[in-house]
Amino acid sequence: MPDTPPDIPLVKMRGITKRFGGVTALSNVDLDAHAGEVLAIVGDNGAGKSTLIKVLTGVYQPTEGDIYLAGEKVDFASHADAIELGIDAVYQTLALADHLDPAANMFLGNELTRKVFGITMLDNKRMRSETERVLMERLGVKLKSLDAPTESLSGGQRQAVAIARAVYHEGLRVLVMDEPTAALGPQETARTLKLIKTLKAQGLAVILISHSLDDVFEVSDRIHVQRRGQCVGVVKASESNTQEVLGLIVGAEEAA
Amino acid sequence: MATITAQKTLSERMEPYIAIIGPMVMILAILLFMAVAEPARYFRATNLNLILLDAALYMPMAMAMTFVITQRGIDLSIGSIAALSGIMMAFLIKQYGFSVYVAVPIAIMLGAVMGLINGLIITRFNVPDLIGTLAMDLVYRGFALVLAKGLVLARFPDFLTEIGRGQIPGFIPIPVIIGIATMIAGYVLLTRSYFGRYTIAIGSNPEAAELTGISVNRHKVYAYVLMGACAALGGVMLTGKLNAIQATSAPYFNLHVIAAVVVGGTSLFGGRASMLGSFAGVLLLSMMINALVTLRIEFFWQSVASGVVIVSSVALYTWMQKKDRDGAGGLFAGLMTPDGQKMLRFSAALIGVLIALLAIGGLFAGDPNPSG
Repeated sequence: MPDTPPDIPLVKMRGITKRFGGVTALSNVDLDAHAGEVLAIVGDNGAGKSTLIKVLTGVYQPTEGDIYLAGEKVDFASHADAIELGIDAVYQTLALADHLDPAANMFLGNELTRKVFGITMLDNKRMRSETERVLMERLGVKLKSLDAPTESLSGGQRQAVAIARAVYHEGLRVLVMDEPTAALGPQETARTLKLIKTLKAQGLAVILISHSLDDVFEVSDRIHVQRRGQCVGVVKASESNTQEVLGLIVGAEEAA
Repeated sequence: MATITAQKTLSERMEPYIAIIGPMVMILAILLFMAVAEPARYFRATNLNLILLDAALYMPMAMAMTFVITQRGIDLSIGSIAALSGIMMAFLIKQYGFSVYVAVPIAIMLGAVMGLINGLIITRFNVPDLIGTLAMDLVYRGFALVLAKGLVLARFPDFLTEIGRGQIPGFIPIPVIIGIATMIAGYVLLTRSYFGRYTIAIGSNPEAAELTGISVNRHKVYAYVLMGACAALGGVMLTGKLNAIQATSAPYFNLHVIAAVVVGGTSLFGGRASMLGSFAGVLLLSMMINALVTLRIEFFWQSVASGVVIVSSVALYTWMQKKDRDGAGGLFAGLMTPDGQKMLRFSAALIGVLIALLAIGGLFAGDPNPSG
């Protein structure tokens, strides 16, 4: 694509096709995402946004097509493979265990331990201080209490915990965010968008899926539009407007 | 993102302590009531010893059941596991001449294996825990009956009776030490181990646990294995306490242990665990039953009292955990809604029919022993 920056894209998906039985969810989709960039994926329901990111995060395996990470071809057999190579996602549901405190959630499945009389025990104290550090340093978020169960936090703070879990992985290079602002009020949305900018400034490639074009134009650099399983256009946010993108989403452009 | 500025409400600040407040209030109520009704007999050292001795039997099982219930599971087979492993241990000692020091660990391992079977049935064959363990309860009880028939196996070596009712002179009974030690181990396990952490995560959000790479099924099996081993330990302690075991022993273990755990604030809906609460729950039930005995109330009322305590405490916790109570407008407001009115009329009709039938029966009642 001529209008992308000259360096190699961090993520390059080429000719991705995904079929479920007779249904073609994705057909020959290309996608590029660069480090230090926010790429928004927009489209109507059933346009293939979720399928596309599930292919990228290793949840689904593409029927056809290749994924390149920093120029190298990769194959993900599972989501864990993708995480291993630095691609993680924050789901709309956040996937938090609400009864556990933020630190326990951040380290869930990846706990820090210490030896007590030769027995491996969870190091709750260190997990707590690490959580505090990551939230502060990487996301600029300070929680009043790290002891309270996660269910007592606000929507935005819960999201910060979910993001912190992803960014704690040193090798994280690509963060997919699925509808991060869908369940949030205006204030929390503004904070989340600020978080996305913070992550971008730290050199991550952020892939944002959203229905809210206002949010998309506020934070994203480029916008990838999906319609009926195909990519119908990639536009620069600074050179486009809501009307144009909306036109692409519903297919008005084609008719005109 | 700014820090939370909103003032926490009282109920929010109390949230972490709710688990322990419930049983503590009820324990206090029993103490106060007994202080008025029967202080002399209830507060004797020997009676307190009796309460502890009774509670100790249930402590290991309540500890394990806390893990099972926190994972959104339930185990209804523990009474039969206790009986069957007790019987098998008794046969090993009495009939095959096994040393008691080997037979006791064997019994506990047998319980663990029975727990493993429960866990595999639930996770591999996808049988719901309620049905799976209920059916296995029949199986284990059946095996116990097949093995022992109507036999009562009695008189065991001292080591076993020491486990069941021994006393460190001038101190507390040995089973109490065992019970409290298992509860402390359970607390450490819950708060400091992978198993405990994943138990809460699985109960809180199974999908999230799966997504973060936790092996949900394996940790479920662990919980049932722990449950089985602790049920067998309960069976060993019971055998020692009575110095006898038979196939029909330990019929009330299931509900008693589940009641203790639930009364202690561990949520039946998963994710919320309180080991301290389970400890308090066990104490509460033993104190209540002992109080009933002290008041010379017939044994069969214990069952009524246990049931009432379970229902009221679960209802209480559910009510306390409901975030939005404002709309409810009190306990009786619900009766005023159209649906409430229908339910009221339906209940009234049911009770009315019952009363009518009783009246008819009474009117036409003849000599109670006509056929003599």
